[in-house]
Amino acid sequence: MDNKTDAQGGYILQLQNFSVNDGDGIRTTIFMAGCPLRCAWCANPEGFTLKNPMTHYVTVEVVVKKIKKQMIFYRNSGGGITFSGGEATFQPDFLRSMVNRMYDMGLHLAIETCGYFSFEEVYDILQKMDLIFMDMKHMDSHQHLTWTQKENTLILENIQKVSTLGIPMVLRIPTIVGVNASMEHMKSVFEWMESTVPHAKLEFLPYHRFGEYKYEQLRLKLPQTSFETPDDALIKAFTQLAQQYGIEVVSYR
Amino acid sequence: MVTPRIEKIRQNYINSKPAISYHRAAIWTESHKRTEGEAIPIRRAKAFYDTCAQLKLTIFEGELIVGATGEFRKCGILTPEFSWTWVDREMDSFDTRPQDPYVMTEEQRKYVREHIFPYWKGKSLEEHFLARLPKETAKVVVDTGIVDNDSKWRQAVGEITPDYQDVLFVKGFGGILKEAEEKYNALDNTSVENSKKKEFYESVMWTSKGIILYANRYADLALEMAKEEKDSVRKAELTQIAANCRRVPEHPPTTFYEALQFIWFTQIGAILSENPLALNPGRFDQYMNPYYQADIKAGTLNPEFAQELVDALWLKYSEWVWTISANTADYFAGYNQFQNLTVGGRTRDGKDATNDVTFMALKATEEVKTHQPGLSVRIHADAPQEFMNAVTHLVSVGTGFPAIHNDSVGYQMLLNAGYEPEDARDWNNCGCVVPHFRKTGEWTAAVNVNFGSALEFALNEGKTRLTNQKIGLDEKPAKEFTSYAEVENAFYKQFANLCKHAIIATIEAQRLHQEMVPRPFLSSCIEECMIQGQDLSMGGAKYNIGPVITGIGLAVVANSLMAIKKLVFEDKVTTMEELCNALAADWEGYEELRKLAQAAPKYGNDNDEVDNIAREICNFYYREIHQYKDINGAAFNTAFMGISNYLPMGKVLGATPCGRKAKEPSSEGVSPYVGTDTSTPLAAMRSAAKMNQEMHSGGTLLNLRLNHDLVATKRGQANLGAMIQSFFSLGAFHVQFNTISSEILKKAQQNPEEYKDLLVRVAGYSTQFVNLSKSMQDAIIARTAHAEF
Repeated sequence: MDNKTDAQGGYILQLQNFSVNDGDGIRTTIFMAGCPLRCAWCANPEGFTLKNPMTHYVTVEVVVKKIKKQMIFYRNSGGGITFSGGEATFQPDFLRSMVNRMYDMGLHLAIETCGYFSFEEVYDILQKMDLIFMDMKHMDSHQHLTWTQKENTLILENIQKVSTLGIPMVLRIPTIVGVNASMEHMKSVFEWMESTVPHAKLEFLPYHRFGEYKYEQLRLKLPQTSFETPDDALIKAFTQLAQQYGIEVVSYR
Repeated sequence: MVTPRIEKIRQNYINSKPAISYHRAAIWTESHKRTEGEAIPIRRAKAFYDTCAQLKLTIFEGELIVGATGEFRKCGILTPEFSWTWVDREMDSFDTRPQDPYVMTEEQRKYVREHIFPYWKGKSLEEHFLARLPKETAKVVVDTGIVDNDSKWRQAVGEITPDYQDVLFVKGFGGILKEAEEKYNALDNTSVENSKKKEFYESVMWTSKGIILYANRYADLALEMAKEEKDSVRKAELTQIAANCRRVPEHPPTTFYEALQFIWFTQIGAILSENPLALNPGRFDQYMNPYYQADIKAGTLNPEFAQELVDALWLKYSEWVWTISANTADYFAGYNQFQNLTVGGRTRDGKDATNDVTFMALKATEEVKTHQPGLSVRIHADAPQEFMNAVTHLVSVGTGFPAIHNDSVGYQMLLNAGYEPEDARDWNNCGCVVPHFRKTGEWTAAVNVNFGSALEFALNEGKTRLTNQKIGLDEKPAKEFTSYAEVENAFYKQFANLCKHAIIATIEAQRLHQEMVPRPFLSSCIEECMIQGQDLSMGGAKYNIGPVITGIGLAVVANSLMAIKKLVFEDKVTTMEELCNALAADWEGYEELRKLAQAAPKYGNDNDEVDNIAREICNFYYREIHQYKDINGAAFNTAFMGISNYLPMGKVLGATPCGRKAKEPSSEGVSPYVGTDTSTPLAAMRSAAKMNQEMHSGGTLLNLRLNHDLVATKRGQANLGAMIQSFFSLGAFHVQFNTISSEILKKAQQNPEEYKDLLVRVAGYSTQFVNLSKSMQDAIIARTAHAEF
């Protein structure tokens, strides 16, 4: 079976019901396949490509049918759908088609994106969102290139553009000791946020290794072991620093 | 945090071992020797009076609410009039049995064997039941694990909600006594009916006098102790206790404190009269709130002391130990007496019913961490946010409490059973998950039926797989089934037969209860019994609801039929013959086939195909059971409760086509089979909600385990609240959560000393984890913990 990704359907890693950490209430997170970045610590490496042993093709119809069974839980909890990945915008036609259907169903829609996309191409999709999560991995473009294999210029631009849409936005920092979990780096992020996207909120996502088994399954090289999970005290210190810049720190825990 | 005063009582409670007291049985027996030839209700009432007059009284250290059924802090009593043979058979190993052991000394055993049991030989309910039960039914129901109703012939019925609102707090037992005397005097013996009524009223006179005397003896004891007491605080407490016991339960309570003491005396009266199962405090917040508000307003009570008193009552509820056979203990594990206390919901006239006492009850359970009372909450669609928060917070603490019920489905269940709307709206829980009402006589857990046995008989020519006994109906060899429909029909045929025997056994037990064990004390707590002059056992209550037959193993059978349908008749990867050989071999040598069986769709994952099989089993069960009428002409009712009956009912089952091995636990209530609800708890809820729950007036139960992380934050708890409301809007009746991590449970298993107060949800109730047998503990650990998010 070799289906195309288009308005009829596309490739996903998983459709995860009962998600409670990617937006308000009880949600279904749709992990979509394909990603332009190659983050060295990635917990969902099966999302790198569209087709691999851990992804599968679904039609928009099937996704909508599955989602209908969860409606009652969204309704009572103020939840909805979160598009994630991989990179949610990597299959724009598939994403657009789902978003349009679900927007008309009155569902609360959220997207989690790495920010590496053509803003003009996905502008209409983002407009239909109720909440946008954008990743912020490193302020230094060279470092960004080293860790993700792309520079951050386009990403920073897009964060700025998305913020003009007036949709609630949360910047997420995957917080990794050995990559970006230093006071100095955080300071540069917060300064940029303060001046560029003052209304954006912030969430720290502490690094974890739950995805390592997937590397083995996909016969990929494991992420380097020097990455470490920041402890609670460090996250607390970052939070306090962010607050000094007037940034609201949130947690969907 | 509890106050130091409560903590002292709590520690004292936690550190005492359940022990058997024979004093009640000794007095009861001597009394019966003196009343030979008198009418049965009178004899029982006089025995009760003598017990109240003679029982040695104890006020334990620091207690604020008093009354004990024997000399031990955690005390079980004997009721040889119901059954003594099992005690005689089993008491030598009371200390050592795996589930619910009791302390009993050699000296005690000698006494009961010499002075108590000989009198009851040939006179107990059990002996009469076994002598009368038709042989073909006995083969199916007596200690088989196939159909089981031994709690109805080895024990008293219980299953009563004393009516505080319209009877006890209004009249007191003094008022009841006066009423009984008046009615007694107004009747002459010119008809059989009249003389039966006179007998009833006379029996109530004795029991009322008895409980009043018992309380007054406590007043005397407290006064005496106050005189000796050096500590001035304790002296004042004892003086107050004496005043309370002087007033209640003879007179209606005038304060919050007196009302609590009244409740405990009522429990004591019921325990001494029959040692019942499921003696429900009912809608505690509804009948206690007026006293609370009045005392607060008058400035005679402060909220802190009120909370201490509620905590103290919770500890009293927990010290009563239900004395049961090893067999019954397998079904009702954890020293559980099922004193179900209900808060929240709606009032009789439909308003939100939550009040200050509602929250005190939730707090008491969180603070004292006792397994009693069984705390139930009623949640309606517009339940206040503060209440939802308090409920989900208590869930997050991991006590397994409260049992969470759907207000409107409870209402519908009672309407379905024939209640008037106002009464139906006033429902409380009975036992574990049975919607009940305080003007009701009903056997709410009359029989358990093992659905898995019906399937086993269908596939094994009517024989048990483990013991090769022919207990079911004739059936052709399973290899000759040529279609799925044929398999299904064979199952339903055996199933209907088991239902029939459950009915026969219940009716036989009901007849004997009428003849042998009338219940004057509890009847006097029920309004209509006093109006009609009729005992509860004779159908004296306003509502006489048909006995509840509990189905065990719904998920096992649905999953098994699904596996047969798919593997044999659709995918054709095996044959009936090979499958049955695999079952006979307990899957040994058929590992590949077992994997296929395990991979077949499982109930609990929102898969319509297998869920529809389960739904049809439920519907059939209802139609089958509901066609029969009990001794009062009331239709029998169905339930999918839990208790711990899925363990013994699994023990007698061979391997099942769903992939389950022989002797492993069956499934409980409408819960998925352990470990097979692998999707999300939402999917498990959607499956369970498909079972037309409102039709099963005996209650339905879903147990889920949630990883603690999911409910550790306020946000997580709010989502849990939304899950519950969603489940209920789908038409489900009950859900209860265990939120302890498996790690903690394993630690508790290894170091029970450190986890004495760790409460877990068994099924329909919570109890101390360390009090469960190893196999029960393993079963709890094995329940799928939904950790995904």
